[in-house]
Amino acid sequence: MARVYNWQIRREMSYWYGESRPARQFAAVFDINKCIACQTCTLACKTTWTSGKGQEYMLWNNVESKPYGFYPLGWDVNLLDKLGPQRWSGGRFEGRTLFEAAEAGERVLGWRPEEIDYANPNVGEDDCAGAIENGAHLQVPHMAWFYYLARICNHCTYPGCLASCPRGSIYKRPEDGIVLVDQGRCRGYQECVKACPYKKVFFNPMTGTSEKCIACFPKLETGLQPQCFVNCIGKIRMAGWVSRPSEAREDNPIDYLVHVRKLALPLFPQWGLEPNVYYIPPIHAPRRYLEQMFGPGVEQAIDTYRKAHRDKDLAGLLELFGSTEKVVPRWKRKGELIFGQDEKGREIVRVPMTEPVVIRSRFDVAHGVVRTNCP
Amino acid sequence: MNAVLIRCGVVALLLLFAASCGGPPGAPPSEVIVARTADLPQGPADAAWRHAPVYRAELLLQDMVEPRLIEASTSLVSVRAMTDGSEIAFQLDWKDDTRDDLPSPGRFSDACAVQLPVGISADVPAPQMGEPGRAVEISFWRATWQASLDGRPDDIRAIHPGATVDHYPFEAAGLEPGSKDRAAMRARYSPARALGNVMEGPRERAVEDLLAEGPGSLTRAESQRSDGSGRRSDDGWQVMIRRPLSEALTANGRGQIAFAVWQGAAGEVGARKMRTGWVPIAIEEGS
Ligand code: SF4
Ligand code: SF4
Repeated sequence: MARVYNWQIRREMSYWYGESRPARQFAAVFDINKCIACQTCTLACKTTWTSGKGQEYMLWNNVESKPYGFYPLGWDVNLLDKLGPQRWSGGRFEGRTLFEAAEAGERVLGWRPEEIDYANPNVGEDDCAGAIENGAHLQVPHMAWFYYLARICNHCTYPGCLASCPRGSIYKRPEDGIVLVDQGRCRGYQECVKACPYKKVFFNPMTGTSEKCIACFPKLETGLQPQCFVNCIGKIRMAGWVSRPSEAREDNPIDYLVHVRKLALPLFPQWGLEPNVYYIPPIHAPRRYLEQMFGPGVEQAIDTYRKAHRDKDLAGLLELFGSTEKVVPRWKRKGELIFGQDEKGREIVRVPMTEPVVIRSRFDVAHGVVRTNCP
Repeated sequence: MNAVLIRCGVVALLLLFAASCGGPPGAPPSEVIVARTADLPQGPADAAWRHAPVYRAELLLQDMVEPRLIEASTSLVSVRAMTDGSEIAFQLDWKDDTRDDLPSPGRFSDACAVQLPVGISADVPAPQMGEPGRAVEISFWRATWQASLDGRPDDIRAIHPGATVDHYPFEAAGLEPGSKDRAAMRARYSPARALGNVMEGPRERAVEDLLAEGPGSLTRAESQRSDGSGRRSDDGWQVMIRRPLSEALTANGRGQIAFAVWQGAAGEVGARKMRTGWVPIAIEEGS
């Protein structure tokens, strides 16, 4: 095992390979507060990539209701249980990562789902399990709560899947950090399925190989955001590139949200993979639950988010989510306008802080009809 | 010429050494004896196998490289071998309570393999899949492949009989069954097959030829020369693997061989396997 630096846990850790960061790292910010669980993302991915034989059960993108929704069943709690209680000290993780806690004969601490664990995604998971007292009124955090967690592969800096493959069939692209299973080399050992803590590699029984989210690289290579981003009804997603903290740029939207404002947090950073999908935590769920899932930055992130409406930069940048199919690597605000730009500063899109309100007259003169709002 | 003689001498010495200390004391054949025959057996249960002596290969845990196997499973594989002078056939027979021949997430296939060093060399490469620059050739049989050849349809319902499928894009009404367009559309959703990496699905053989130069380096050989078949016996598997004689066996009538067995129900796959070290192998004296 080599020693590598993981900025999300603010320390060095053991990893199967030495530190080798890509020229730039694909990353995303998901604003959980805006997700409506419409599953449009799930279907956008499904129709694009996993409509083949043997892919029937696969959801490279899935949306589950926390705390009782899982795909596959128990993916997070099983592992938390296996790893046992661990400790953060300030922003530094003092416990053991999945690489450091690997059992004898293994490269990564993991567990293997059975096929039945994939069988019933979303069924019954958002039934309210708590009773609300008569006369109760809404508080934040809510007394009975759930939230929607949209998940894709995190294209981790230190992928568990990659570390676990004895054949080196999984690789991280040096140009953009996308993690791929080489379909010509994989022999279907399913070690990666066991090792990925997020359970985002899937065994295809008809090809006999493991398959996973490819971050829509053919789109990304032409400057477009992946399918689950551009089809997102709630406009909760933004794709881009994340820097190391020491190289963070204020004009990079992802860096701004992750590093500068510390609003978007990694998923289970304590596991040690440096995952690259960053979540704006839901403001209405209990903090302790969220801290287990997103690390010690939750309190500050929620505080920042709740004040965002008074913060023109932050509120403005959040307006850029879902505003264009293109990847927006740079941004700036000028008064009431937010600009999404390419790397050379050329404008890709502009959005106003506040959408203009247009009231149409009741009668459409051009067509000679009365306008109605009937659905 | 001299070099060849010296090399043969070293081989002979090594074999003497192997014969004097190889194999458990008192155990019958301490090497795999390859019986000569005019016609190789036709399958794993062919009566002709009784003409070949049985070598009982004790299996060890693969516990050298991660991922390792922690708990031993199959302890023994009985091996018989026959040659017709150009090809060699093996019968591998081992105990396995469950038939594991369905590919699925979290399920693994029963399998077995024979491994031979590439080329003729005085000493053999590391028994664990060879070493860089010193390759081994492997003939690998897998139960899921056998099931495909025995007629399991290439359909998810053959794995999950209760599965319902709304629609596959390649089965759209506009794409004629059997047409090029339909095949192309299907390949789009099966990248491994499109690349010729047929780890499951329709196959021509249940055995695959592989080359390796150390753990993790296993590669499909360019020419596929091995063949064979497997069947469930009363209490396990009986498999025949047939392949050309190795260079060493052709030249010297002797060499080294190794065996491996995977038990799917025990989660054995890839490096997680039961295996032997090198075992001496010799073609029976005579015509
Ligand atoms: S989320 Fe899982 S599949 Fe994706 S890179 Fe990380 S370990 Fe690999
Ligand atoms: S499309 Fe967007 S809003 Fe709808 S479920 Fe997916 S992430 Fe949530």
